[in-house]
Amino acid sequence: MRILNTESWTLAKRESATGYLFVVPWLIGFILLTLGPMLASLYFSFTEYNVISAPKWIGLNNYTRLFQDPLFWQSLKVTLYFAALSLPSGLILSFMLAVLLNQDVPGVRIWRTIYFLPSILSSVSVTLLWVILFNPQIGVVNQLLERIGIKGPGWLADPNWALPSLVIMGLWGIGQNMIIYLAGLQSVPRDLYDAAKVDGAASWQRFRFITIPMMSPVIFYNLVLGLIATFSYFAQAYIASGAVNSEVGGPVRSTLFYNLYLYQNAFRYNEMGYASAMAWVLFIIILLLTALVFRSSSLWVYYEGELRAKS
Amino acid sequence: MKHKLRWVLLCCLVLLIAAPVAAQEKVKVTIFVGLGTGTDPDQIPKQEALAEKFNASHDSIEIEFLIVPVEESRTRLLAMLAGGNAPQLVGPNGISTIAQFFDSWADITPFLEAEQFDTTDFYAPSLELNSYPEMNTGLPLGLFPSFVLYNIDMFDASGVDYPPSDYADTSWTMDELRNRAMLLTLDANGYDATMPEFDAENIVQWGFSDAWSDMRGVLTRWGAPGIGRPTSDDFKTATANSEEWIYGLQWFSDGMWVDHFIPNGEQQTGIESTGAAPLDSGQIAMFYTHTWYLGEALNDLPFEVGIAPAPFNQKGERIARIHADNFTIPETATNKEEAWEVMKWLTSPEQIVDVCLIYGCVPARASVADDFRAALQERFPDLDLNVAFEAINYLDAPNHESWVPEWGRVNDTLNYAYGLIASGENTDAKAVLDETNASLQQILDEYWAKQP
Repeated sequence: MRILNTESWTLAKRESATGYLFVVPWLIGFILLTLGPMLASLYFSFTEYNVISAPKWIGLNNYTRLFQDPLFWQSLKVTLYFAALSLPSGLILSFMLAVLLNQDVPGVRIWRTIYFLPSILSSVSVTLLWVILFNPQIGVVNQLLERIGIKGPGWLADPNWALPSLVIMGLWGIGQNMIIYLAGLQSVPRDLYDAAKVDGAASWQRFRFITIPMMSPVIFYNLVLGLIATFSYFAQAYIASGAVNSEVGGPVRSTLFYNLYLYQNAFRYNEMGYASAMAWVLFIIILLLTALVFRSSSLWVYYEGELRAKS
Repeated sequence: MKHKLRWVLLCCLVLLIAAPVAAQEKVKVTIFVGLGTGTDPDQIPKQEALAEKFNASHDSIEIEFLIVPVEESRTRLLAMLAGGNAPQLVGPNGISTIAQFFDSWADITPFLEAEQFDTTDFYAPSLELNSYPEMNTGLPLGLFPSFVLYNIDMFDASGVDYPPSDYADTSWTMDELRNRAMLLTLDANGYDATMPEFDAENIVQWGFSDAWSDMRGVLTRWGAPGIGRPTSDDFKTATANSEEWIYGLQWFSDGMWVDHFIPNGEQQTGIESTGAAPLDSGQIAMFYTHTWYLGEALNDLPFEVGIAPAPFNQKGERIARIHADNFTIPETATNKEEAWEVMKWLTSPEQIVDVCLIYGCVPARASVADDFRAALQERFPDLDLNVAFEAINYLDAPNHESWVPEWGRVNDTLNYAYGLIASGENTDAKAVLDETNASLQQILDEYWAKQP
């Protein structure tokens, strides 16, 4: 017995059905493991839920409480400060590195490998390594600074330096962005540069008026992903502050990232409802910022194909 | 003959069928380990051996240790509780762990009453540490009394008298500890902290450290009305800015920033960065700690170690904070009766010494004190273990890890305050504790406002 008579289907219909059949496993995974928990967390965000007892509906209380919670604002401040430092520095440095490693110099492949390697290492081991490097007394960083007559700060143990330390730590892993930039740089048509040279454009002008516009979609891509990653920052801060200060988000809450505070609420204070509300507020913040970046893209992102279509 | 053979065959068949069924009937009791001690590599085979011993001697119950790394143990346990897959036993749990999951545990009072279980062999304080007005969380397993461990070589090198080991010696006060600690604090040029030439920016050896404790643990010794608890008896009023806690926190603040005999937060980071425990690092002369340190850290040291009691505080009282461990049964666990049987076995006079040797605690049963002392003395022949055992008589009650409403928030707020002192952001204990008390009061008010 045939369950489905597909003989009468058009080719397009059959192809669609085949396509859906291939994505079914992913769809099932998405519904069960992503969408389901998301919807559950949305429901929990309107409840008082400590995991052990059944959730109790409390309406918008978690959301109103959130805006009166000084630690919510502190964690948001830390996250925004971190984003303001790490996002531009990461984007600019990785771009500069990609431009350098796009030059035709001997051993360039080895350099590319060296710079890319840290980005594929486990963030846990890299963080632990940096914890040792940043050690105020025996760390290599301070020892090097001492050789040039500078008394290094306490880095991760100093409330004023802990966050910049995490930014510096993050710069070590810019290889991922660098590789994407590198791929973009290599797809910029050579004839544009040749034509510019014929027109007498200096190297800075070629960079400013060819490389940057042609790379703007790649910059945009890295910016969006970087923005989301920055607001989801967790593991490194959790490990570094726990290992150095025995106080998650320490010293004195200087690295209390939004996600760390969310985690504290969920798994230390057992307030899953409150933590779920935090998660949804974070989702909305990221959504708004991403939308803002998308909106601004028409002003500074150059799509060659788009212009051709318009003309 | 044929008839007999048939019977024998039939019996064999019945046995063959029945044996696996009987084996399957063993009720499994999973013991969740990871919220406290028990996850060190050398502890794991010992726990497995313990499980084998139990399983070999019991026909109806089978135990299995589920050992979860500390960093993921909380989330794992919560997931198991939420998913209706609660382990039958959880432990060893410290008092703080019990407090953090306070609503999760089953009350063992019905088991105690049903059997008229004799608890007289347990040290009375250990029973009190597990008992709350509304429930008894579990039979006591062990205690971790506290004391001062000191580096004898450093005392010899500086010509400073050893701390007394006699509990009757009233000269051993916190002020006396400070005096000796300052003489033991040295800079890179060998000057001690009492000398005018002393370079506080270049310290290589500190006189005292209590680094492995939180704020409540550090302040419990100063004799506040709530001892180790920052609230009134009814838990409704915050009392963190008591006169005694302000005095104690200022003592620590001055120890870090004025007298320099206690490592501040940054210096502590440097000391522990090598992976060595504070005393083991060879940079600390006196370290205040508990018996768990004996098992976890005090190994193959290149220097001699002495032991001294907790000093008397500014009020002339001796308060030696204590930790305690037990096993608990989650309220939502299946097979609670079997879990109770396992709990009894683990804390029985026959097993408790072996179990405590794995976890480093002093057995909570008085009847096995000599056995345990002998076993421990064999491992640490040069330590005067009387000092450790005697400390039980001076424990902190209310305990510094005991339950308070919103335990996690309250403790994090207090530890933030300690961080302000340790980082030098604010070294005025009164200002810090006044502000902290206001925050705690807000947390308590919000908690009580939610209660029916």
